[in-house]
Formats: sequence, C-alpha cells, structure tokens
Amino acid sequence: MTVAAPSAPVQTATGQPPAEQPGRGIKPSGWTGLAFIAPNLLGVIAFTLIPLISVIALAFTDWNLVSGLGGIEFNGLDNFIAIARDPGFWNAVGLTLLYVGVSVPLTVVLGLALGTALNRPLPGRGVLRAIFFLPYIVNTVAIGMTWLMLMNPKSGLVNQTLDIFGISPGWFASSHWALPALIVMAVWGGVGYCSLIYLSALQDAPGQLYEAADIDGAGSWMKFRAITWPSLLPTTIFLAVTLIIGASQGFGLIALITSGGPGDSTTTISYYMYQTGFQFYRFGYASAIGLVTFLGVLVLTLVTWRAQRGRALHD
Amino acid sequence: MRGDLSRRRFLAGVGAVGASALVAGCSGSGGGGGSDVLQVWGGVPAASGPGKVVEAFQRKFPQYKVNYTRFVNDDRGNLKLDTALQGGLDIDVYFTYASASLALRAGSGLAADLTDRVKGDPDLALFLDTEQPRAFLDQGRVKALATAREPYFVLFNEKLREQAGVELPHQWTVDEYRATAKKLTSGSTVGAYTIPDIARISLGPNYWYSDDNGRSNFDNPIFEQALATGRAMIDEGSAFPWSEVLARHLDAYQQNSFLKAEFNLWSTAPFNLRYLYDAKKYPHDFKVSFAPPPTVPGGGDWNGGSYNNFVMMNPKSTKTEAAWQFIKFWLTEGSAPMLAGGKIPTLGNVTNDQLRAGMLGKEPDKYFDLDSFQRVVLDAEPKLATDTKLAGFPEINLAYGQQRDLCWLGEKSPGPAIREVYRLANAAIARNEGSA
Repeated sequence: MTVAAPSAPVQTATGQPPAEQPGRGIKPSGWTGLAFIAPNLLGVIAFTLIPLISVIALAFTDWNLVSGLGGIEFNGLDNFIAIARDPGFWNAVGLTLLYVGVSVPLTVVLGLALGTALNRPLPGRGVLRAIFFLPYIVNTVAIGMTWLMLMNPKSGLVNQTLDIFGISPGWFASSHWALPALIVMAVWGGVGYCSLIYLSALQDAPGQLYEAADIDGAGSWMKFRAITWPSLLPTTIFLAVTLIIGASQGFGLIALITSGGPGDSTTTISYYMYQTGFQFYRFGYASAIGLVTFLGVLVLTLVTWRAQRGRALHD
Repeated sequence: MRGDLSRRRFLAGVGAVGASALVAGCSGSGGGGGSDVLQVWGGVPAASGPGKVVEAFQRKFPQYKVNYTRFVNDDRGNLKLDTALQGGLDIDVYFTYASASLALRAGSGLAADLTDRVKGDPDLALFLDTEQPRAFLDQGRVKALATAREPYFVLFNEKLREQAGVELPHQWTVDEYRATAKKLTSGSTVGAYTIPDIARISLGPNYWYSDDNGRSNFDNPIFEQALATGRAMIDEGSAFPWSEVLARHLDAYQQNSFLKAEFNLWSTAPFNLRYLYDAKKYPHDFKVSFAPPPTVPGGGDWNGGSYNNFVMMNPKSTKTEAAWQFIKFWLTEGSAPMLAGGKIPTLGNVTNDQLRAGMLGKEPDKYFDLDSFQRVVLDAEPKLATDTKLAGFPEINLAYGQQRDLCWLGEKSPGPAIREVYRLANAAIARNEGSA
C-alpha cells in the first residue's frame, strides 16, 4: 500500500486555512479514495482482521465449532497451560525450528551464490534467470507430485542416482529422511527467488567503492567481505525475515506429501495446528497454538531484524 | 461522474458491494435459507446413485423437489458441512460417514431425534436392534440411521491364483491367510496388500475401548499380535512393502496396484468393486473371486465391516415431513440405485439379482467369479460391527496410524509401538470424556 505525502496546507483568500466542517473528518476526495479501496478493504476485514481477532478470542476458550457459537466456553489460560505440557506441541516446535534453521540459511546462501553467478556476463543469462525462478511460481501440487516421484525410494530418479554412491535414503517413507526431503524441496523452491532479489541488490552495489578497492589492491574476498556483503545486508535481512515467516507457516507440501508422517516426523507447528483444529475439532486449543506461534515468529523476526541494525553499508 | 463522492454515496456503494458478496456467497448449490426445495447433502457423487434415488423420489412424490449437494467426504468437506449446518444454511437431510463426526454432530444438536418416527414405522424395526446396531443413539435417542451395509471380503486375482495352484478358501484363519499370501508371492506380485484388521475381527465393535471407563483397549495382546503379523508378512515379502505404500500414497489408490497385479489378496469392501467391472476406465485381464475375511483362533469371527453411511435430519429443517419421507424412501424402496457405488441397503430390501446387477456391472460373468460372490456376499450373514464408543476417536485413529507406519517401516518394534498407542489413546479418551 502506498501512502501519499502530506500536501501543503491550502490557504484561503484571507490567508487563513479553511475552517473544518463540523462532524466531517474526511474530505469529499477522501471518500472517493475510500470507495476505490473499499472492495479490498472489505476483503481484508472479512478474511484477515475478523479471523485474526477471532483466533485471539478463541484462544481463551474451549470450542469444537459443531456446537455453534452457543457452545463456546471461556476457559481462561487453560489452553496455554495445556500447550506448555503438550509433548506433541514441543515436538512440533522442535521440528519447525529444525526445518526453519536449516532451510532458511541454505536458501539464502545458495541464493546469494546463484545471484552472484547470474550477475556476471553469461550467455543466455536471461533464460537462466527465468529457469531458476520457475520453481517459485509453479503450483505447489505439481511440485509435490513431481518430488514424490523423484524421491520414491525404489524407483525415483534421485535414489537411482544416489545408488551409484551406495546411498539409498527412504525420503518420505522414512521418519529420519522425510524432514530432510522437505528441506531439500523448500531450498529448491526458494533459491531462484532469493537469487533474483540478490541480483537486483548486486546491480545497485556502489561501483565507486569497488574502483577504490581495486586501486588499493584489494582481492576478490576482501571486496566481497568489505563492500558486497555489507551492501547486501538489508536484502539478506529482508529475505531471512520473509523466509523465516514463510517456513514457519509451511503447510501445503506437508499436507500434500507426508500428512505429518511417517509417525509425527514432519508434524511441524502449522500442521499440528491443522490437526488439532480441523481433524480433532479442538478449535480453542488450535487458536491458542496459533497465537503462541505468532508470538514466537514475531520474536524470531525481531531478533533477526535487530541483529543487522547498524551493520549495513550506506552510501 | 460529476463532482466528488459524498459519504452517503460511499456508504451506499459499500453496502451494495457487501450485499452482492452476501448474495453471491449464498447462491451456491446448497441454496439460500428457507427455499421450498428439499436440500440434501451427501458424500457420494450424484452419478453414483444419489441422482437416481432423487429422480425416483420426485416421481413418486411430485409435490416435493429435491436438490442433492455433494460434499467431498474428507476433513475439508466435513468442515464445510459442519459450518453450513451451524451457519444455518438450508440443509434438511445430510449424510455422515466418519465415526468421529457422527458423535460430534449427534451430541451437538445438529441431528433431529428420529426415535418416535422409527418406532412408529414397522418397516424400520431393524433400526431398534441393539445387538447389531444399525442406528446411532445419543443418550438413548435415535439420531442417525445407517443406509448401507458394508461387509468386508478378500478378493483374489483368479488368473494368478490358478497359476499358483492355490485353493479358493471358503473359510480360513489368519495363519492360513498368511500362508496363502506366501504361496501367491512371486517375482512380480506380492501375495497380499496387507493383513486384515485382526484385532477388529477378534474383538468386534468398540474394540479400541476397554469396558472400564476412561481406558483404551490397546493393552489387549491382539493389537501387538496384529502389528507383529503385519510386520512379519512385510519382512518375508508376502505383504506389500510399507515404504512403497507411503511413498506412492497407495492407501488411497489400492485399486490401481490390484488392477496391475502388483499384489494379489485384497481385503476390501463393496465400494471398491466399481473399479473392477469397468475395463475401459480401469483395464485388466483377469477375473476376481471372493473369500470371506479370515477368522482369528479363539472365537474371533467378526467380519470387520460395519453398518454406515448414516443419514441424519437437520433439527432446524422447516420441511420435516418431506425430509422424513425422503429418508424413509432412501432406506426402503429407493435404495437400489446406490448399489452402483457398492452401497448394500441396510434393510436388505433388494433382490439378489438387483445386488448382482448393481454391484458387478453389466457383464458380471466377464469380471467376477459369480459362485464365490454368491457364497461370500449374497448368502453369508456376516457379523458387522458398528462402533458406539467414540471418545477421542480421531486422535486415537491418528496415533494408531502413526505407530503402525513406524512399525511396518521397520523403525519401531510392535511392542513399543502399541504401548505408545495405548498411552496416547488413554490421554485422548481422558481429555474427551473430561470435556464432555
């Protein structure tokens, strides 16, 4: 959403600003603007704001949906106490942290490497960029089905290749390999996007600093460490924050491929929340999990954001 | 447009957008509130039987119009139905397939009390049988009526059975089932998809629940024995590798592997017969024969199947007479078209010829061994189990499925796996009974 810059105050013929009409906070032109955003605003209110407020309110209740609004029972902090004692929740938290902790740094690092490579004059660079970006825009179901076939432990292309080296992971049919398989898919899906964002940041890098570094005889590593990396830090933080939020909410591929299994080896926090709400009909408890997750992701995001303050390179 | 927009015009515009959204939201096939058309929601596609039931009903009762809405019988589909029922959408009659939803809906005021109507109708007396319940009772009141009888049986690929020189069993035990699966295993075909649910065969209805309140029944040794036998069959190669089942999502697509002769013995129910008589859509070159489910030594002779596909009336319905007429029609004279989807009417009010034609397609001789069908499906009187204890059912179902997967993948021994199910099931029962 863009915000218009405040305009200079309008002067009347007497040099005084016009008196505001009583009871009218918005100018006629403001109503026109509101009319334009109204359809979207209604959507945001109906599908984001009201559900958000509902989740916060339901987190303090015991409710199974089927009993209707009359069946909502306020239970204070019971859900949060239960969460603290729920081994299933903490297992899901651990898996989510592992999933986020491995997939996000890998995606960022590989995205940076790919972005740097694509920043050089290569034949067919435009086509390569499009190819690497493609996984980001392909439908989740198509991605899931393709990887499911590729990672079939017996007949999949991945294992047929790995067999040459005597390695044969069970992937989605193993509680040890299912999460790594999902991480591989997440990294594959995110690297192209990261590389494109890095590419645009690299093209904005301050050229005069590189010239000065060349004159001073700095090597490639020194230039990367002293110029490139600091100038890319805001981009990196942006990517890290958005990827952390996205990975914490990762649901589609898990629902499609593993349904949280084998066992509970891929039951991340989003999927656990889904099971609790939509399979067990414990909507109050699921809402409390949602609220706790929101606060957790918020803290993680703030920590990431604060970590970079003052370290970026500015012109 | 002349001049700026006034607040009144703005609010009028917002109101119009809101109203049109509301109208659009209510104009789905479920229909808005209070129409004269009887609204029926079910999980079976209209083309697989319900469409013909509705047509026949409208022919017999021209004063009633019926609109059948199909919901997909999965988590999301059931949530859609629950939301629609709670939101006051015009639904008069609906179907419930999952046991957990049955208890939840009946216990939450979403099902009308049908007790007096059932008691007042001699044709429906079977629904009052409590030995083999065909109705779901909530605090002694009839809230749902099973429309279908779903016995289990074991299907054989006749071509491969004859090649292996295996006799078609008329009755057999679980051990004989396993031995047969071994004999049927070859380089290209696994003997069986998996082992039938021998704990259910042994214990019958409510087999997950102990008679003691608040405890699960997973400390019964039969559960560990079931996991151990399944694992042993996978290890010896006579049951399908569970890694393949999970990696290929075979649980939902068992018919494809059976049709491709990837495995032979298939313990299943009538709804899967529809894949076996349509050779254009599901090509195969073999006949299928029927055997009863194996029994468990020591008295376990429950079939493993159940009465299900429960029909319920919305207590908010304003067309209760029409709704009841429709329910009764579906249960009695109108039930035959549902055979196409493998739904055998609960009341048995169809002839054997109708059953054969409805369940085995237009060329039954070509695709099925009719003698064994007659013996196993038409003549047999299987003991069907219908669960009435359902506390924590979805949680227990998930816990059992998760631990079974780990056990059959070879990652966990049967003992620890079933002990974990026992712990989780007890917790789920305690939580649900505590909050009931």
